[in-house]
Amino acid sequence: MNFLKFITKKIYLFIFSLFLSFGFITSSYAVDITIWDLSGRNGQDEFYDNLNKEYKKINPDVNIILQTFENEAYKTQIQVALNGNDGPDVFFNWFGEDSARLARAGLALDITPYANVEGGYGNYISEGLSNTTAVNGKIYGVPNTSVSKYFHYDPAFFEANSLAVPKTFDDLLNLCRDIRAIDSSIVPWPLGNSERWKLNHVITMLNQRVVGEENTAADYNLSASEDELFTNPAYVEAWQKVVDLQDAGCFQDAPNATHPDLTRSMFASQISPMIYCGTWCGGIFNGEGFSDFSYFRFPEVVGGAGAATVGFLVPSGMMVSAKTAHPEIAAHVASFMVSDDMALQAAELMGFMPSNPTKIGEMSNPTHWFNFYVNDIADKTGHVNVLDVLLEANVSNAYLDMGTEILNRTKTPQEAMDFIRQVALEAKAAM
Amino acid sequence: MNKNNTQTNNFSLSNDKVSATILLVPALIFCTIFIFIPAIGTIVGSFYSYSLTSMNNWKWVGFGNYVKATQDEYFWVALKNNFIIVFASIVLQVGVGTILAAILDRGIKYGRVIFRTIIFTPMVISSVAVSLIWLIIYDPNVGILNAIFKSIGLSTPSKGWLGDPNISIWMIMITAAWQNTGFMMVLILAGLQGVSKEVYDAAEIDGATGVKAFWYITLPMIRNVLIVAILITTIGAFKVFEFIFVFTQGGPSNATQVLGTYIYLQAFNLLHMGYANALSVILLIIALFLGWLQLKSSRKA
Repeated sequence: MNFLKFITKKIYLFIFSLFLSFGFITSSYAVDITIWDLSGRNGQDEFYDNLNKEYKKINPDVNIILQTFENEAYKTQIQVALNGNDGPDVFFNWFGEDSARLARAGLALDITPYANVEGGYGNYISEGLSNTTAVNGKIYGVPNTSVSKYFHYDPAFFEANSLAVPKTFDDLLNLCRDIRAIDSSIVPWPLGNSERWKLNHVITMLNQRVVGEENTAADYNLSASEDELFTNPAYVEAWQKVVDLQDAGCFQDAPNATHPDLTRSMFASQISPMIYCGTWCGGIFNGEGFSDFSYFRFPEVVGGAGAATVGFLVPSGMMVSAKTAHPEIAAHVASFMVSDDMALQAAELMGFMPSNPTKIGEMSNPTHWFNFYVNDIADKTGHVNVLDVLLEANVSNAYLDMGTEILNRTKTPQEAMDFIRQVALEAKAAM
Repeated sequence: MNKNNTQTNNFSLSNDKVSATILLVPALIFCTIFIFIPAIGTIVGSFYSYSLTSMNNWKWVGFGNYVKATQDEYFWVALKNNFIIVFASIVLQVGVGTILAAILDRGIKYGRVIFRTIIFTPMVISSVAVSLIWLIIYDPNVGILNAIFKSIGLSTPSKGWLGDPNISIWMIMITAAWQNTGFMMVLILAGLQGVSKEVYDAAEIDGATGVKAFWYITLPMIRNVLIVAILITTIGAFKVFEFIFVFTQGGPSNATQVLGTYIYLQAFNLLHMGYANALSVILLIIALFLGWLQLKSSRKA
């Protein structure tokens, strides 16, 4: 009986303390803003720590909580989370079909009304850049960086072997042959396509150079008529260029079984003299001990319909969940990330090509690759988004699969395009 | 007196029933939340077309998703691969496991525990970790397998062990066998140790020793254990996901696609959630059938 009394007292005490703590929590009005981002970025933790501290200066009751995810897993997890009730308030995304789909499904918040409020993103980034996130005239994201891609090469190797930077695609083929002639065991351009996206980036550029961005637009957004959809013979020609690269000995033997990380290490350890790699790669090469590299653009395809001054560019940044309990604060936090000081910090700590370049000149010690990327992106006359972000999911997957088939020679370029056209027709019919 | 006894028995019986029901309730609640409701949701969802990003826009398609499956080339590739994995797993895991168990049971006199522990150890490592380790072993540029082949003058596949659609599924099978054979060995060894020594002594008098004794005495005596081992392997082979996902994600060119990875691809990459549900229902039916077989044979065993 005494024992029962003791237990009952303890229960009352517990319930009372629960009420007390509840009262304490509710009285502080603290707001947690959860941000989901990709993991593995250099300087990311420091950037978010600073973001939290800086934001507290203007809004002390807001806690910014970062959760990070591995690249491939993130693509799935964010979709599941946004459908549930425990998702992030603010989340990373690539701007293209991926982000547009979330907007169309009502999972991303229309942040147009928050553009020009005090501290809104409209005060920091250009309208043109904001419009890369637009769906039906409404803005759904705040781009904080863009990624591009360049050939990175080892100038010491080039100089020692009297090799020249290729200006045209044929020069690139000859360069591969020349490197193989120097030593057949050297892989001129290691290609890690085990996750399929590496070749997808190459075919993105080849389509632009050979087919031309004006000719691809209607096919990419599936607005071309059924008779014309992906029928331009230049698409086959673009795939043929991949075969030509392989025949010229550019790649190692088994690109479909090679992980992209390994190819980066092959270049960073100077086993291979060049690699086509993103603007995130400079920091990785440096981290692996190689910083004396240089760069060149994807070469021109003579006779192709696309200009050589057009580059690869994938804008990325933050979106706000439509289910956030604090839409105004979440949009404000996303905007604050591209404010002058935070954009500078993103560039310094994470090597971002900032969407807000106001304080770019104040960077303490910009690396040579950072300067190159920033200046070259600004010099380009136009940009193309990468196919696995831009295309409808089924067509994108078909392009990814065909890249594997082409490298394995299990499909010819014509067969690959026939397959892609078939998938595109089905996707168009389902729209 | 008798009446009282009967009343007491009835009371005790009904009391037992109440206790049993109360004890079952938590399990039933969890099963309902985590198994029955999702399963019913999956069956219902299989008759609709919708995606993960259009959860409020379900379109009724009847049996359309099932018809689509019959016409989907990659569904048949995935199903075929599941059957290949079943066959390969039975041969590699149960077959090799039986041989190893027989060796440990009667073939060697010393070090049984050490060998048993070594062979069983991979079983306790997570499949994802095992896959990552073997991914490095199979790497065509820095992997030890290529180095071994080259060092003894053998050629290696030019598309890589995991990049060649003709061999990639078999390479994954080898890894799965490396991990799971130890478990099969322990299971079968337990069966072998249940076989009376006197049976072997009697067989020896009749001239059945060595392989002959294994074939005519051991195997029939552990028949029921082998059936259970085969069923466990078969069900595992139909549920396989992690190995394929980490190694190849179903590639190259869908060559290693299995139902598990294909359902994932359709649901989360291609956004055909309704179709993925239909494929899940097909997998569920196969799994239920195999489960029923397992239950039946376990009871016999």
